[in-house]
Amino acid sequence: MYSEKIIERFVNPKYAGGLRGANGTGKCDNEDCGDQVKLYISVNDDNVITDAKFKAYGGVCTIVALDVACSLIEGRSLDAALRTNYYQILEEMGQVPEGREYTANLAVEAIRAAIEDFYKKQEKVKK
Amino acid sequence: MSKKVYFDYASTTYVSNEVLNEMMPCFNAIYGNANTLHSFGRMAASVVDKARDRIKNAINASKANEIYFTSGGTEANNWAIRGLAHAYANKGKHIIVSKIEHKSILDACEVLEKEGFEVSYLPVDKHGLVNLSELLHIIRKDTTLISIMAVNNEVGTIQNVKTIAKIAHDYGIIFHTDASQAIGNIKIDVQDMEIDAMTMTAHKIYGPKGVGCLYLKDGVQIENLIYGGSAEHGKRGGTVDVPAVAGFGKAVEVAVRDMVINAQKMRNVREYFLKCVHDRIEYVEVNGHPLQKVNTILNLCFEMVDKESLLMLLDLEGVAVSAGSACTSNSLTQSHVLKAMGLEDEVANSSIRFSFGKNLTKEDIDYAVDVLEKSVAKLRSISALTKAGRK
Repeated sequence: MYSEKIIERFVNPKYAGGLRGANGTGKCDNEDCGDQVKLYISVNDDNVITDAKFKAYGGVCTIVALDVACSLIEGRSLDAALRTNYYQILEEMGQVPEGREYTANLAVEAIRAAIEDFYKKQEKVKK
Repeated sequence: MSKKVYFDYASTTYVSNEVLNEMMPCFNAIYGNANTLHSFGRMAASVVDKARDRIKNAINASKANEIYFTSGGTEANNWAIRGLAHAYANKGKHIIVSKIEHKSILDACEVLEKEGFEVSYLPVDKHGLVNLSELLHIIRKDTTLISIMAVNNEVGTIQNVKTIAKIAHDYGIIFHTDASQAIGNIKIDVQDMEIDAMTMTAHKIYGPKGVGCLYLKDGVQIENLIYGGSAEHGKRGGTVDVPAVAGFGKAVEVAVRDMVINAQKMRNVREYFLKCVHDRIEYVEVNGHPLQKVNTILNLCFEMVDKESLLMLLDLEGVAVSAGSACTSNSLTQSHVLKAMGLEDEVANSSIRFSFGKNLTKEDIDYAVDVLEKSVAKLRSISALTKAGRK
């Protein structure tokens, strides 16, 4: 059902875990499937994401999609990270079984939510 | 990966040697068509008759010709629901099934609904037991059939079949039960339990896949399933699969013969497994009835852990379990059984089924619990759910 690439990434996700000092956290869920994910980002003064991590309660593809999302945004500017889309994540995941494509969407939403959270926190700091 | 341990016996079992020995001659020595009159055919027919007799004796049917061989439990369930409903349609078009039936019952009901029948889905309590007072409430004058499974395949809860059958008969309603998970686990006496129709299958009791039967009490009407020929008293045409039927008959005989001794062994296996799990893993809950359940099925919720991810990690280490019934575990939908039992989504999404069989050893269980402990810890360390957020 799952390709070796997906299984390898599921077993050894590089970006799984919490992130101390994160200044943006995106929380998302998928009610139909019960998935719940959190994506943490650490953004520097130049608005570049220096670190990204995730936590997930979800199936194999959910974990892989979030891991891919973190890999795509780490080291990139917030603007570039915001442009990460569903197709990029799917492509990077490899062969996603039918019915699991929604996980790529969940990952995109998590990226956007984390960046939104970062900006909200920045505004609070300014105030 | 070296070691492999199978914990999915409720999905299917291997074929036991006793059963295999019964089947082997039927592939090349006894190869006649059981519906032909010559000596080759008669020889095959005698094998089929013997199997029918064995099943009749095992469930205490009054006649061997009350057993109709099918391709398995799904076919027998489909046939029972549709065949009985249609046969009694002149009396009424309302049937009752429980919400936790196998998909082969529920999907057949959906077809009936499209054909103009009304189906009431009986709720269950948090342990998976059907609500008897609710049953009395939803019985109508035009109810013709009640179908409630004897043992649930996901949580192992045993229903009060005899009581339900009595209620059905008080109202002149036909009673069918899916006993696919019951044979060999609990005593089934179709006369004492007043069962009118009953589904059985071979591959859950160390018999071959692709064969099962529908017990149909003499006098109960049913629409024919397959037209063409005189097989199965003309109700289900087709050349009888003699090796499979021979194996099925033997499997049922052995399952009933060894029921007491197996029940004891399976109880020990389950209790040892559960103790190891509780000793080593926190936040684990048992789903299903605390007492009224079979010893071969254990449904556990590992809080904060997604069932599919856990199943995959276990599988990669050679431990085979199920995230529900086999027919639905490929789908993303939640278990309709756990949902009907009123479990929270997060409980249902974190629950997997372990089912036990004769070949399991203490070493197998120790290995599986080692893998389970590591896998649960790994997934919890990256879970978005937290202990603080537990309900």
